Amino acid sequence: MGKIHIKIDSKEIEVNEGISVIDAARATGIEIPSMCYREGKEHITSCMVCLVKDAENGKLFPSCSINVQEGMQIISMDEEIQEARKTALELLLSEHVGDCEAPCQITCPAHMDIPLMNRLLSEGNFEEALKVVKKDIALPAVFGRVCPAPCEGACRRKSIDEPVSICLLKRSAGDKDILGENMYLPQKEKSTGKSIAIIGAGPAGLAAAYFLQIKGYSCTIYDRNKRAGGSLKKEVEAGVLPAGILAAEVEVIAKLGAEFIMDTEIDASLFNKLKSGSDALIIASGQGDSGAGDWGLEMSKTGILADNDSYQIGNSNIFVVGSALKPSKLAIRTLGQGKEVSFSVDQFLKGEAVRGEQGRFNSRFGKLFPEEFGEYMKESVEGKRAEPADLQVGLTHKQVMEEAKRCLHCDCREIDNCTLRDLSDQYKANQRRFYSEERKKIVKHIQNDAVIYEPAKCIKCGICVDITAEYMEDYGFTFIGRGFDIEIGVPFNKSVKTGLEKVAREAAEACPTGALSKK
Amino acid sequence: MRVDLKEIEQIATSIGRDKKFVIPILQAIQKKYNFLPEEALEKVCEITDIRPAQIISVASFYSQFRFEPAGKHIIKVCMGTACHVKGAEQVYDAFKREFKLEGSQDTDASGNYTIEKVNCLGCCTLAPVVQIDNITYGHVSSGTINEVLSDFETQKDGSEKKQFRKPSGEVIKGEIRIGLGSCCVASGSDEIRDAVKNTIDTKSLDVNLKHVGCVGMCHQVPLVEVVPENGEAILYSKVKAVDIDQIIQKHFQPKSKLKRLSNKIVNAIENVVDDSRWGGIEKYSIDVREKHVSSFLDRQKPIATEFRGIINPIDIKEYKSRFGFKALEKCLKKNDPEWLINEVKESGIRGRGGAGFPTSVKWSLVAAEKSEKKYVICNGDEGDPGAFMDRMLLESYPYRIIEGMIIGAFAVGSDEGIFYIRAEYPLAVTRIQQAIKICYEEGYLGENILGSGFTFHASVYQGAGAFVCGEETALIASIEGKRGFPHIRPPYPAKEGLWGKPTLVNNTETLAQIAYILLHNAKAFNSIGTEKSRGTKVFALAGKVARGGLIEVPMGMTIREVVEEIGGGVANNRTFKAVQVGGPSGGCIPASMSDTRIDFESLAEVGAMMGSGGMVVLDDKDCMVDIAKYFLSFTQNESCGKCTFCRVGTKRMLEILEKITRGKGVSKDLEELESLAEWTKKGSLCGLGKTAPNPVLSTLKFFREEYEAHINGICPSGKCQDMIQYHITDDCIGCTKCAQECPVDAIPFAPHEKHLIDTELCIKCDSCRQVCPIDAVITK
Repeated sequence: MGKIHIKIDSKEIEVNEGISVIDAARATGIEIPSMCYREGKEHITSCMVCLVKDAENGKLFPSCSINVQEGMQIISMDEEIQEARKTALELLLSEHVGDCEAPCQITCPAHMDIPLMNRLLSEGNFEEALKVVKKDIALPAVFGRVCPAPCEGACRRKSIDEPVSICLLKRSAGDKDILGENMYLPQKEKSTGKSIAIIGAGPAGLAAAYFLQIKGYSCTIYDRNKRAGGSLKKEVEAGVLPAGILAAEVEVIAKLGAEFIMDTEIDASLFNKLKSGSDALIIASGQGDSGAGDWGLEMSKTGILADNDSYQIGNSNIFVVGSALKPSKLAIRTLGQGKEVSFSVDQFLKGEAVRGEQGRFNSRFGKLFPEEFGEYMKESVEGKRAEPADLQVGLTHKQVMEEAKRCLHCDCREIDNCTLRDLSDQYKANQRRFYSEERKKIVKHIQNDAVIYEPAKCIKCGICVDITAEYMEDYGFTFIGRGFDIEIGVPFNKSVKTGLEKVAREAAEACPTGALSKK
Repeated sequence: MRVDLKEIEQIATSIGRDKKFVIPILQAIQKKYNFLPEEALEKVCEITDIRPAQIISVASFYSQFRFEPAGKHIIKVCMGTACHVKGAEQVYDAFKREFKLEGSQDTDASGNYTIEKVNCLGCCTLAPVVQIDNITYGHVSSGTINEVLSDFETQKDGSEKKQFRKPSGEVIKGEIRIGLGSCCVASGSDEIRDAVKNTIDTKSLDVNLKHVGCVGMCHQVPLVEVVPENGEAILYSKVKAVDIDQIIQKHFQPKSKLKRLSNKIVNAIENVVDDSRWGGIEKYSIDVREKHVSSFLDRQKPIATEFRGIINPIDIKEYKSRFGFKALEKCLKKNDPEWLINEVKESGIRGRGGAGFPTSVKWSLVAAEKSEKKYVICNGDEGDPGAFMDRMLLESYPYRIIEGMIIGAFAVGSDEGIFYIRAEYPLAVTRIQQAIKICYEEGYLGENILGSGFTFHASVYQGAGAFVCGEETALIASIEGKRGFPHIRPPYPAKEGLWGKPTLVNNTETLAQIAYILLHNAKAFNSIGTEKSRGTKVFALAGKVARGGLIEVPMGMTIREVVEEIGGGVANNRTFKAVQVGGPSGGCIPASMSDTRIDFESLAEVGAMMGSGGMVVLDDKDCMVDIAKYFLSFTQNESCGKCTFCRVGTKRMLEILEKITRGKGVSKDLEELESLAEWTKKGSLCGLGKTAPNPVLSTLKFFREEYEAHINGICPSGKCQDMIQYHITDDCIGCTKCAQECPVDAIPFAPHEKHLIDTELCIKCDSCRQVCPIDAVITK
């Protein structure tokens, strides 16, 4: 095979004749995204996210489908290409009807992976379920009692009958932990040797301490009260939250190595000492802390002035979370901020850009149509939600498993294996740009043993069609129809099982979205 | 549906069992059952190499194929541009109402009628046009669909057509020419032919009846030209069958005295034959009444359409007597492909399919390829709404196109040619098939053509209804039995075309001009037109123009010359607003720019495009946003669905346009529309997607204020249904015609009182406005 010479981004390279521009670029370490192309395979050139520019005439072309030619000059990235790829993604997203993360998780101020917790609880796996909860919520048993559960308002099951009893499920995981012999202690990362002072032992401060301890920092929490809990005191006094439950979950944070210095007012001199004596200082002192005025910090209308996303004050080592930043009646929100600030502080102390916890791109489609209820119920069980016989006791073990099964599995199975999502993140695509009032109806073809096919998520790349043809499936997948209404399906309306007798898993693995996913 | 599987066996046996025959097999099945029964398709997969994935993929791609049984009769409502601007959508809605069809239903409960929208029936000058089975109705309105249906009911079981007996022997005393182009046939030339035969027969006249191709004066159809042995030929237009007797007898005398006497009484009225008052019907002999006609024809330069209206399309002797096949003979005799290609190069001819790629370059690329096998394809997959040049050429000049193809094949060294013609053009398919057969008999096709040692075979492939197949790579995919998905070029078909072999794909019109160039010489063609666009171009002139039809004009003529001098200006004393050139890939040129020359470069400069040559004149009653929406909905519907920008981009653009024409647009929509149009142009894979935004971009450029008016809640031309209301003025005489006509009882029956329209109930079908005898129904 002959060699030819091309220029990519003014870099001269020698490549094998007969290869595509995208392969030539990738071989030299220039990443060009693509979704419909599999190296060396015939494909239909559909997604158009691999557009690059011909430097000679300024025209864009799909790099997957043009072979290198002697003397070719390619621009692999500039503003126009960036915008073209982003537009292609946004067009695809406008017809991609599916959720990445489930609505409950997106709504949860602590961003907890609720569907995964539900799936583990439905199998009776309380231990793993608790670990999932504690990845985002430091005090599950506490918040299983005090949280107003905005997640349940977003639960898709609500439109069918009643939302899944998420809050009680979470509580059951937390209660089981407390009742067990040893409470769950997460694995700590290697010690960084750095110290962090936290003012306030309320939900925000406790959460910050919990997550920073896990990240290898030594936290000291200061609070003027005798007991930790901050604003949770009200719930304790109201009898909603037993003091023992709170104490047990706070104890875990102490066990992780956080030091509690209670019954201490933070005056200006102590404040300055904490600021200079610690690597970072987190203010989580609650709403209108009397001390805050003396600390010499700039105030906004709502509280201490700090960045709303990173919680950092300027470029300093001081971070502000919870009601000290902006009053909130929602303790779960301040708890969530405690987790988020742990990312900012970690980034700050590692010398990285301080951005807080990075949310990922999430595809969302809004409400379910009544005719779609049945599709979602295919993965769930009938019946209204479980009510505890005694609210003090909560749901029984059996009730928990039954209730968790009511979850509709709204989150995408391929959430971490989706090129469309990765690229949408990378190119900061906006799914709403080409919002259309009409959307495709969701259908779920469930092939019990291997895959699930959701045509509404399909971006028509044609890879599964090619794979089934390569493997000589009797029926396989094929393009049906034309234009915008094109669909990919099994000929003669046969089942997905009939279409994918031989290559179900291969096809699902190759799918660049969650349209065809492994079960 | 009971499917006789033996018949499916027979179909497969007669057509072939290879994968590539999938489209012909599907066409045969559909012809048999009028849809594609699933059992039949499964049987095909069982007994041929065709797999389920292929058959479903192909059958669902082409719009010709149906998966549901159709009614006994198919009503095709033409949605071509000319029909659109004259209210085709309202006609379609009226049929749907008549048959009580909801949503996507297309067949009435009794199973008698199926209603379909079709892209263009090519009878633009009769717009709006509706075809029921083989009967075409012109100038249909939402108010006249009942008449159309009842007329059809009386005709559908029509008696067999009378056999024509030729007048026995003796000298021909004259000739009667009847146009048999689709427009003429649509407007009733078949009946006229029968009437002529009948008259000639019963009166025993010495008259030769002759069928000729399209004359191009489609606005006057049906046409009958009488050519007496001595004296001037007279052309009669808009002729009705009942007039024939009189017309003929005016010019020809029966042979026997007795006959002559018996016809005397009839002859008494002969002096009023060419008087428009006769019978109260519009009809007149053109040489007397229509002085403009000479300019209609004189400003034109027929090359592709040479000898129009004179030669019988299928008569090879006549073609030969008019220099037919002389160019081929010359080329074969010279036996020098290099010279041949050079002549084509010198002529300056560029592809007539739209993009204007130099024909000689294409030829030399294919000629340069070293391959045992090469193909030549004539691209007759014309699918633009408002364009029917290719069809007319194929129907009227089959030999000229065949000759062009053979010459091309000789130049590039190919031995096999394929005419790709839309199945929606049955007459064109038949004519070419007949002509090919005759060419074989006469030695112009087959082995050793004219003793030159050159061998060339030709056949017809029927396209199954996909506009995108006009794109050459999609066309090739279609012949190979696949979905009409285009692929990116390179590789060009010249290198890797049909079955991977070098393939020359030329547009029908290009091939129709080849013989002229080689017969005369490059200079004869080169001296016509402009520097970069040589020769002539055929256009379908339609819309709000006084005289529409097919025209062939020198390149470089201005839009004004075409519209005013050839088209006779805008009809009905309205104001000329714009002309849409190039169909769905083209753009709208405002009246203020009508000095724009019609050539490849000038049109591209103003954001339009030659396209395949549709030219639709628009007047002040036409809404430019509506026009943009119309074309975009066409391309959106015809997008193959393969690449993101075209599949989704055109859909989202259309949604924005729909929002604007519903009066719900906001100014941000215009920005997004423009931006998306630009991206779709830049990012689409093939020509369809790359040019689809042109109608939007050009109207945004020249008529932005109209878009802004819509955003502000006004459709200035009162066209966008959601933005207008029907009212009755004080001129109302209380005749109740509108009340009787209203399909939804939105006008109370109140004789002698001023009528009122309940705007809540009104569905804006326009019936009331059409029936009002004093134009008291207005929109605002």
